[in-house]
Amino acid sequence: MKLRTGALLLAISFFCLVTPAQQKEQGTIIDEVQMYVSPDANAQKLARATRGRDVPLVMERTKIGDQSWAHVLIIVDVDRERETNRQITGWVPSKVVISTATPNADQIIFGEAVDSENQAEQRGGRKHAAEDAMRLYYRIYDYWPNSPLAGEALWRAADVRWQLEKADVRLRPSSREMNPDLRNPIDDEPMKLVMKKYPHTKWSDLAAYDLIDNKLCGSWKGETHCPEKESELYEKYAREHPQSPKAAEALFNAAWRQAALVQMYGAQHDKERDKARRKALELAQEAATKSSAGDPKLADWKPRAMELMYSLQQGIPTYDAGTDRK
Amino acid sequence: MVKLIKMIGLPLLALAVIGSFSAIALAAEQEHATLIREESLYVSAGANAQKTAQADRGSALTILERSQAGGQPWMKISMAADQQAQVSKEATGWIPGKTVITASTANGDEVVFGQAVDSERQAEERGGRKGAAEDALRLYARVPELFPGSPLAAEAMWRAADIRWQLAKADFVRSGKPLDDKYLREVVAKFPQSKQAELAAYDLLDNQMCPEWRGMAECPIKESALYEQYAHQHPQSPKAAEALYNAAWRQAALTDIYRINNDREKSEAARKKATALAQEVQGQQPDVDWKARATDLIYKLENKIPIYGAGVVEAGETK
Repeated sequence: MKLRTGALLLAISFFCLVTPAQQKEQGTIIDEVQMYVSPDANAQKLARATRGRDVPLVMERTKIGDQSWAHVLIIVDVDRERETNRQITGWVPSKVVISTATPNADQIIFGEAVDSENQAEQRGGRKHAAEDAMRLYYRIYDYWPNSPLAGEALWRAADVRWQLEKADVRLRPSSREMNPDLRNPIDDEPMKLVMKKYPHTKWSDLAAYDLIDNKLCGSWKGETHCPEKESELYEKYAREHPQSPKAAEALFNAAWRQAALVQMYGAQHDKERDKARRKALELAQEAATKSSAGDPKLADWKPRAMELMYSLQQGIPTYDAGTDRK
Repeated sequence: MVKLIKMIGLPLLALAVIGSFSAIALAAEQEHATLIREESLYVSAGANAQKTAQADRGSALTILERSQAGGQPWMKISMAADQQAQVSKEATGWIPGKTVITASTANGDEVVFGQAVDSERQAEERGGRKGAAEDALRLYARVPELFPGSPLAAEAMWRAADIRWQLAKADFVRSGKPLDDKYLREVVAKFPQSKQAELAAYDLLDNQMCPEWRGMAECPIKESALYEQYAHQHPQSPKAAEALYNAAWRQAALTDIYRINNDREKSEAARKKATALAQEVQGQQPDVDWKARATDLIYKLENKIPIYGAGVVEAGETK
């Protein structure tokens, strides 16, 4: 008897060893669902799981009547700061589980993520739709790393998180601090992951651009060192990422800061003012040539650069010192 | 009698002809312009003169006179009444010339367009400049007026019409004021077969949408047909994929509406139609987002995941 139990344990261990992690059925859910203790809509409810939640294991599937059910392990809550999560096992309708066994799973999840992102942008859109989009995008990278959508999905997940945190940081009083070191930075780990996993790609270029936010002054307070430093940061970015979709924007931002410096230096510092003016014109000219008429997203940078150059040539103010508006 | 008419009429006719020529010549001489910064209007040329009014970015100006004051160029202008700029009647005054863009300004079209883009961005930013959307609207509108031959004219005219449309739509939600489609129709008429005309035609569909469905089938049927018709009439439009997806989504919603009403046959027909339309999006569109959204919709249709469920109706959402 003992021998038979031992053999069974050995067989289970062996099965676990030979079953590679990839063969485990894993995925996420594409709709908000109720979890039940058993495969029955009248059974005791366990929790509500939202879109994009991590399903690290689909344990079994069964059919009761017309309805297919999946017995899943779902991570329903993650506290990133404390690095804690809550794992719950329960039954959910099988159709909302998109797993490694689902054909076109990456496309389906990506589509649901785009839909959620769209909802988040709409006035009166679904509550927490941005967080849904963020999780759904991340799952593609997590479970389908070889998908052609994985790089873009990881970037979008990181960007949604970045924008949410940025909005949060802006609400704090420290957001107006001139020195960026005096405010809580936006967590840059997700962006760094994009750059590490997909180096020399458009997504890596975009992630590097977002990271500049953490180095910008909260306000300038009329001090020249802020626009000087920021102009350098943007120009450096444009030089290091010449193929980036953000290269023209970065050059324009660098030029615009130099144009603001022209005003800030004023008549008292004519040498610095003239230097800033020359630099602004050079950078604006470069932004105009980088702008592509064929790409509607990039085409606008040329007229903006032309307007900036015209304003510089005519001595028209470009920086509203009163509102410190950048 | 004929003689009399000839005798009296000829000099009158000559006067009328001279008069109309003068008017034409005057109109041709009048130089039109706009502003890329807001400026005060002064009673005379010079920054120390009394201010009389405010001219916003993108105001429609007519230059009446030019002068120099304090080493700077000044212009006497007349500013047309503009409801959008809250200018109730025509105003005249002097303004500094450096912010005035005329048809003869080098790269003037790009300068005005660039300031319009900047204002549009301001309008989209939290805490952006007040009235920035209206500034953008006026600036864009000036581009085809001042520079009709510019390669930016069509895009600028479309953007002006679109901003006006979006502002009117927001107003419609608040006040129920009907949308005026005149400006979008002008884009279609002036630049037919262009990308901008296709975008304008897409905006125009808004006027034919139901404000609420109230769980009835008529509205999604009509809306789906409108979107499908648009997609098939404008296959090159940047909005073709979105239109097809919207048509598919409405058919998917119909699947649920008919199912709730226990009309299985119609529900199944709507499901088939929705799937066919979503497959058309998948097959035709290189755009990653619409292709993925179509795949997601097909999966939901195949697995009977509600798109427009009872919960949604109860929550008061209609679409």
